[in-house]
Amino acid sequence: MEHTSTLEKVLRASALTAVVIFFMFPIFWIILMSFQTNETILRVPPSMIFEPTLSNYRGIITGQLETNAATLEINFMRNLWNSVFLSVSSVAVALALGVPAAYAFARHKFRGSEDIAFTLLSFRFAPPLLVLLPLTLYFQQIGLADTYFGLVWVYQLICLPLILWIVRGYFEDISPDIEYAYRIAGHSWFATFRKIALPLAGPGIAAAGLLAFIFAWNNFIFALVLASADKQPVTVGALAFITASGIQYGQIAAGIVLSVAPTLALALYAQRYLVEGLSLGAVKG
Amino acid sequence: MASVELQNITKRYKDLTVLDRISLTVAEGETLVLFGPSGAGKTVLLRLICGVVEPEDGRVLIGDEDMTDVEAEDRGVGMAFQNFALFPHMSAFDNIASPLEARKQTRGALKDGVEAVAKLLRIDHVLSHAPRELSNGQKQRTALARALVGSPPILLLDDPLRNVDAKLRFEMRLELPRLLADRNATVIYVTQDYKEAMALGDRIAVMSAGQIEQLGTPAEIYLKPANIEIARLFGDPTINLLDVTVRTGVHGFFAEISGVPLNLPGDVKVRDGQACVLGFRPETVSFVEAGDGHAIPVEIEAETPLNEKTVTLATTANGREILISRPAGTPGPSSGTAHIAIAPDKALLFDRESGERVGASLLSTVAEGEAA
Amino acid sequence: MTMTAAVQQKRRRFKIGKRTLPYLLSLPALLVCIGILIPFFTAVFYSLQRYRLSQPWARQMNWGENYLNFITDSGFWNTLNVSLLYAGLTVVLQLLLGLGIALLLQKRTKVNNFISIMLLMPLMTAPALAALMWKLMTNPGFGILSYLLTLVGVDDFRWAASSDTALFTVILVDTWVYTPFIMILLLAGLRSLPKQPFEAAALDNVPRLQQFWRITLPMLTPYILTATLFRLLESIQQFDIIYAMTQGGPGDTLTVFQVEAYLNFFQSTNVGRSAALLMILWAITFFISNIFIKNWLRLRERARGEA
Repeated sequence: MEHTSTLEKVLRASALTAVVIFFMFPIFWIILMSFQTNETILRVPPSMIFEPTLSNYRGIITGQLETNAATLEINFMRNLWNSVFLSVSSVAVALALGVPAAYAFARHKFRGSEDIAFTLLSFRFAPPLLVLLPLTLYFQQIGLADTYFGLVWVYQLICLPLILWIVRGYFEDISPDIEYAYRIAGHSWFATFRKIALPLAGPGIAAAGLLAFIFAWNNFIFALVLASADKQPVTVGALAFITASGIQYGQIAAGIVLSVAPTLALALYAQRYLVEGLSLGAVKG
Repeated sequence: MASVELQNITKRYKDLTVLDRISLTVAEGETLVLFGPSGAGKTVLLRLICGVVEPEDGRVLIGDEDMTDVEAEDRGVGMAFQNFALFPHMSAFDNIASPLEARKQTRGALKDGVEAVAKLLRIDHVLSHAPRELSNGQKQRTALARALVGSPPILLLDDPLRNVDAKLRFEMRLELPRLLADRNATVIYVTQDYKEAMALGDRIAVMSAGQIEQLGTPAEIYLKPANIEIARLFGDPTINLLDVTVRTGVHGFFAEISGVPLNLPGDVKVRDGQACVLGFRPETVSFVEAGDGHAIPVEIEAETPLNEKTVTLATTANGREILISRPAGTPGPSSGTAHIAIAPDKALLFDRESGERVGASLLSTVAEGEAA
Repeated sequence: MTMTAAVQQKRRRFKIGKRTLPYLLSLPALLVCIGILIPFFTAVFYSLQRYRLSQPWARQMNWGENYLNFITDSGFWNTLNVSLLYAGLTVVLQLLLGLGIALLLQKRTKVNNFISIMLLMPLMTAPALAALMWKLMTNPGFGILSYLLTLVGVDDFRWAASSDTALFTVILVDTWVYTPFIMILLLAGLRSLPKQPFEAAALDNVPRLQQFWRITLPMLTPYILTATLFRLLESIQQFDIIYAMTQGGPGDTLTVFQVEAYLNFFQSTNVGRSAALLMILWAITFFISNIFIKNWLRLRERARGEA
């Protein structure tokens, strides 16, 4: 019963093209830039035809950035490593803390369970600086300032609510009867949790973990406030990078591409779960 | 083997009382059927016994031992769920093996145990399949096998035939009693199907709104239902229920149907003018010749031949419907006017207001096994 | 029977932990909760103090003075103004754009699915890095966007460097990053709508525009509300994009709440004012998040019900 006129088809197609160009062009352009030398970047008019060079990536990876004047040492790989380490450990901690709690919240409606769950959720929406600023002072007092431990702890603000609310939904989807059946067969609650609940919620836990990783990786403000240069992840590192004088534009672009690539790759891999994760389990994709 | 005893069990969910001070004893080796409409509390009762639900009040005893505070895995019961509750990520073999595995049996003993029970239930050819690859009937048998495999002294079966097709249900209804008898276990069986209840139960507990309305043998429940509701739930075609008013005559109490008096036994505890409901099962009605003093004239409306019986729908002069059942092949009128007689000694009388059956019994004697 | 004996032995194990178990399981999460509540209350405390890191000796309670000062503080009103403007404009723009794109992609075709996956990429880019990408593209020397503008005769468009266009520029970046969020939520919503009302409307020859207003929009409302409130909560607290792009400048053009609080704390070392600013922001987000959570829960229950 649908009448689509040619005009409508053309309009739709052009609207979609415009949308795709607007959203994809910046990424495309940065990737192009990362393969260019300063001369081709500064050429007027800009052109898509140039001789690609890997020198920008080589410079970033070796840490020897050749500028016009001299060789500059910038340890961008250190930032990348920090991002990997902070994100992986934060997610690991969040899973270790969040999955058992999610199970408790899903299965046992105990006194105060909803309050704790909602308090954790509300952190997701409170201004992060509200917690961060007093923490900087506390961290200095208790010696956690500028430590990975302190950062991983604060990263729980992002990871824990996400894990808790998504994984809880997956546990709730498992019929309690299946767990009862395993208990009645003679297994302890812990065996039931390990052999029934965990495997059945497995895909959801993996997806929540991947999403938490992406959010931790993309975080900027926590590390900006709490980390010094040698603990900073790429998001903060790149900012220092761009303001450093004498760095070639292509190298900045290459740095950005390297920083963005992991999350984009993971997002494409886990895209089936993104809708659910982004809405904290409110909408299923 | 062990007995099961419930003492004063009360279970509430928020403000809703789902079980109200239930006391019940199931003897060793007995098969007790919990029968009732959905929402009566049957499943909750079962879950209380196996230990996955805790009562607010009361005690659960298994084999004379207080189990109220014992975890489900330590109660030594086997249970089959209505929705099967198979472990979706395990093969049928691993599903069935789970109770044996919990007892840390050797690989060989485990394999032997699973294969024996699978053979008994004729699912030995699908043991390697995942639950989603099984037909409904196979799922049901797998769930049953899992409950049986450990030879638990207590076996709880929660409407296991509910979700299988009619043919399989019929087969299993014949097969289950033998299977359960061989097991020597104390069985508590939940169902909403009265035929299943009659076929399987040594005794039946009829539940409604969190209480046990009547507890008795199938014959007792069928022949002496405690109230109108129970009388209605058992029997197919359903019992005839006619509103009557009790009168006093020269021969004691009587009730009138279409002007024909039906004498009530002298020991009935009624008073003159009491509004009652007269219940009589279709198979206790017979066609008679006109002129008999107790013959009630009726108009035949329709005749439905069923497998083993023929059911006739007739109306009395004032339009009240009566079902008459007779063995298939026996002669009877199929249209026009006819006369019927009601066996007064098999009729039941209920108080219309309370629904309770009046008096100890309208029957002089109840022969065991006369039911169904 | 040996088995019975084994069971008899085991039966003695009583369930002591049954009631405490859920608490034990959630205890670690609870501790993190508390660990975060402490700084929160500290912030409340700071906001009631005269407290400058540079003058620790002058630290003392001044109760509501930080808040009272806001009334006559043009800097505060600028912050409130810019924050609300930023949040309002981004959310409205992204909602309209996101809804439009979701409608374009509604049909489940291979091309549409591919595009919707591609559109996730801006959303998965760290906002701070996205700001840097746009900074490169708007560079007056070699930025491709600046060049494109000169082609149409605009030579003096200075993007984030000018106070006239800075707000526009950061809103553009915000829109680039977050429109896909609204789009993906509304697309999931659109695709989950029941088909019958639309089939009935088609049979009755209801015009498509009217179908949209009468059927699609009302049924999509819970999704729109959730997506909008979610975005509003984040947008009113935006920090990454603005800080990475302009650090609140030029001047105080873009000193939204969190940027202003950050600058107050680290540059002016005025802890008291910074904390008071954040408390006001918190009050706003608390209000919005309460409405949000109600909607969100309803939607969550619906999604779980379908599963």
